[in-house]
Amino acid sequence: MTRAFTCIICPNGCEITAEYEGTQVHAIEGATCPKGEDYVRQELTDPRRNIATSIPVEGGELPLVSVRLDKPIPKKDIFSVMDAINRLHVKAPTAIGQVVLADVCGLGANVIITKNVAAL
Amino acid sequence: MQQSYDVVVIGGGVVGSAIARELSRYKLRIAVLEKESDVCTQTSGRNTGMLHAGFLYKTGTLKAICAVEGNQEFDQVARELDVPFKRTGKLIVGFTDEDRQRLENFMARGEANGVKGLEMIDRARMDELDPSAGGNFAMWCPASGILDPFLYTIALAENAVHNGVEYHLNCAFTGEERQAGGAHLLHTTRGDFLTRWVVNSAGLNSAVVSGQLGIPGYVIKPVKGEYFVLDKLAGQFAKIPVYPAPNPDNTFDTHATPTVDGNVLVGPDSQLARDFQDYESTQAAMDGLIESGSRMFKHMERGYFIRNFAGIRPKRIDPETGVVQDFVLECRDDVPGVVNLVGIESPGLTSALPLARRAVALIAQREALEPNPDFDPIRHGIRRFADMNDAEREAAIAENPDYGEIYCRCEKVTRAEILQAIHNPLGVHTVNGVKVRTRATMGRCQGGYCETRITEALHQELGEEFQDIDLGPAGSWMFTGSVKGGDRA
Amino acid sequence: MNVECHQAIVVGGGPAGLAAAIRLKEKGVDDVVVLEREHRTGGILRQCIHDGFGLTRFGETLSGPEYAQRFVDRAEELGITCLTDTTVLTLEADRTLTTSGPAGLKKLRGDAVILTMGCRERTRGALAIPGSRPAGIYTAGVAQEYINLRNLMVGREVVILGSGDIGLIMARRMTLEGAHVKGVYEVQPYPSGLPRNIEQCLNDYHIPLHLSHTVTDIHGRERLEGVTISQVDERFRPIPGTEERVDCDTLILSVGLIPAGDIANGSGLAVDGRTKGAFVDEHYQTNLPGVFSAGNVLHVHDLVDFVSLEAEALATAAAEYLRAGALPPCPLEVQAGANVGHVIPQRISGTRSFTLSLRVRQPMKKVTLTVAQNGREVLRRKLPKALPAEMIQLTIPAEKLEAAGDLEVSVQ
Repeated sequence: MTRAFTCIICPNGCEITAEYEGTQVHAIEGATCPKGEDYVRQELTDPRRNIATSIPVEGGELPLVSVRLDKPIPKKDIFSVMDAINRLHVKAPTAIGQVVLADVCGLGANVIITKNVAAL
Repeated sequence: MQQSYDVVVIGGGVVGSAIARELSRYKLRIAVLEKESDVCTQTSGRNTGMLHAGFLYKTGTLKAICAVEGNQEFDQVARELDVPFKRTGKLIVGFTDEDRQRLENFMARGEANGVKGLEMIDRARMDELDPSAGGNFAMWCPASGILDPFLYTIALAENAVHNGVEYHLNCAFTGEERQAGGAHLLHTTRGDFLTRWVVNSAGLNSAVVSGQLGIPGYVIKPVKGEYFVLDKLAGQFAKIPVYPAPNPDNTFDTHATPTVDGNVLVGPDSQLARDFQDYESTQAAMDGLIESGSRMFKHMERGYFIRNFAGIRPKRIDPETGVVQDFVLECRDDVPGVVNLVGIESPGLTSALPLARRAVALIAQREALEPNPDFDPIRHGIRRFADMNDAEREAAIAENPDYGEIYCRCEKVTRAEILQAIHNPLGVHTVNGVKVRTRATMGRCQGGYCETRITEALHQELGEEFQDIDLGPAGSWMFTGSVKGGDRA
Repeated sequence: MNVECHQAIVVGGGPAGLAAAIRLKEKGVDDVVVLEREHRTGGILRQCIHDGFGLTRFGETLSGPEYAQRFVDRAEELGITCLTDTTVLTLEADRTLTTSGPAGLKKLRGDAVILTMGCRERTRGALAIPGSRPAGIYTAGVAQEYINLRNLMVGREVVILGSGDIGLIMARRMTLEGAHVKGVYEVQPYPSGLPRNIEQCLNDYHIPLHLSHTVTDIHGRERLEGVTISQVDERFRPIPGTEERVDCDTLILSVGLIPAGDIANGSGLAVDGRTKGAFVDEHYQTNLPGVFSAGNVLHVHDLVDFVSLEAEALATAAAEYLRAGALPPCPLEVQAGANVGHVIPQRISGTRSFTLSLRVRQPMKKVTLTVAQNGREVLRRKLPKALPAEMIQLTIPAEKLEAAGDLEVSVQ
């Protein structure tokens, strides 16, 4: 089988074609760096994404603080991870890198704060 | 709930608000019923903002008499009500002998109507007045001017409120019952109102309301005009209004008019509206304005487009012939207690106060009105940072630091002005209410920077839930609620 | 009013301004002041909470706020003065700035003034989209501010006009926050955002992208009720008979960004009609001596990394200007040739290496980029593809240039 991919690892967005059978990759073409090949192999076996959203912050100069995952999670689990994040809230001040939920949904990724929000 | 008044004015446009203000010179309990969320959302706010001189209208008509009277007194009116106004004059330009003949006819008519200072001028004189104006010759009308139609209407309404008039917004008149003794019981979407006098200044709905009050038979044709608003960068090329010579039916083709704030309006065109709410811009009309507007204004360029809008002129027509008729202003003996104004279209803005005085006189002819000794004709507007010089700005900020905080970058509107607009005397609590009072969101970024700040301020100042904040009319909600945490954390 | 004088004044504390200020300080310019109209520095990145920033500049992928914080922290470390809550009202040709803030009005003059104000969004009015004017029409950046900074959801059933990157990012953000994004409509026959954002923001969430389609009517008096979508021909004219109504309560516009150089109106700053930003030389100096410009206020970038790098290059040149009192003259023009939309810089010295930035007019595959001087090839580079969405940057080495003769850049 042949499938075309747009690599999302960097802004170059290489168009990569892969020939494969099941999870067995025969050939990869179009990647301008090794990360592109890794990306395609990952997409074929276990596609993963990072997500970014925000959670309410109490007593902060902003009503929300942004969060993301410290590593990607399986694409199919995006909405269950969103559900878990939607239950979170935090008190100001917040600091970049602060873990607000470890091992979200048992997927091995932490939910981390990405903005410093000062207390009021 | 039933409220009782001496006079209820139906319609809070420029004419209704002028009538309310003129009535407040007397000891009367007065209410204005406005079906929209603000006073200048329909015909009064959707026009070119011209203070007409009065040369276009047939001698002896109300249109001619009121326009000339309104024009001549406006310097004082603008001072009393603290509204932006520039007596720019106007050039009506011609190219052909036929144009010249028509312009000379209008000059004669204007002189008969009492318009002062009209003169035919040649190209050399035109170059002195506005070199960018097209045409070979022109009629120069120094009496014409430009004003802010939103602020003029708001100023009349605010001055009325200052003198005791009550405004009921989002309050639509639905029908009338005569009481024994002649009083009117008015049904509205916000309860009943009992009143001895009722004034119909319902604008687009004036024929319908007239019928509901017992005077059927008037026919109003909704004539729509679309406009482009151009950037202030185009405004440097438009110093004074330049109009083409009128058509044989006394209408003007598309023209370019500077606004009192320095933008340029290109329009209006003229088309029959689908109904009285048909404010949609159409591709065909836009294409037409671009084509015809480019003939009158060399800088009709896409890069200057900021916004489009449309207005509807309620033209009263003879149902038999279709010919456009004069304003109606009447108080019929067989329908007592009703002052009826129908078909107030252009020059309604210029004629508002003269019409209002005549409306009050109709009441005064039928009952003795006792002067209100506390009447104060002076209204103070919101002081604009954009209009101040450096020294004035420094003083304003020293007195109120909010005057230093720019909310609207394009129009240089400060937080101080936004807060004053939010706490306006009419109790208008919409984003558009802030817009028309301050010009915030009217610039080239169209609220890209300041709209979020305005909604935040509406929430903080009024304690209004975000879900309840409207852009303009009731029901024009902006938010479904908070993104996270149930209620906004 | 007293005029406060500084060596360098940077207008705007976003990713360009902070990067410029930091580099100036590192290059030995001690007296640097950053003017920021918001309460915090960081600029638009404060609301760009998605990740993907920093790969070029820092070698790792960060969210917008994290990327910005690195510059904020470094500026603080270096003791750079950032005047927040300070809006610049005007710039004059003699490099005097008038500012306003709750603390009062101020006049400042810089030996160098650095313009890094970023860009603004094109609006419905600029496009002249027909229809009514109800609530529920937001530019993508305004929707992003409401959702990411102010915790306010702007709608449920969403149509997005324009496939700019912010629109694509907002398609994903709104989907994650529970809205139904019905489709993205793009008038061009190709997307205007980056391919990876098409992939991870639309395809991942099964949001359809309709190319060669646009909104031709807007319905609803109070709140938006729907839009009419039409297919367009190759000259972007709606094709009669292709109209289709799509019910929605929200229309998000992602139809282009425009440099926000408004404060310079009236200063005599020369503006390039193609970029809508200033004309600059290879030192990012404008036609006004000592006034420099970089980042999105100069030309709209696709990536913040390039914004910061450009501002750093500007600062290196500005530091030299402050030290030496002048920079080498730049009499040679750089012209946009075949298939090139615009180039930065527009003028060069011909004696120094410089960074050339450009965008192509339409998507092309397997192309050759050529830089020629007096018809002589200076540089040739083969590219697998060239997209209008992607800015192309390359260094032109001094040794390949001659001191006389204009340059032409073409892609074929």
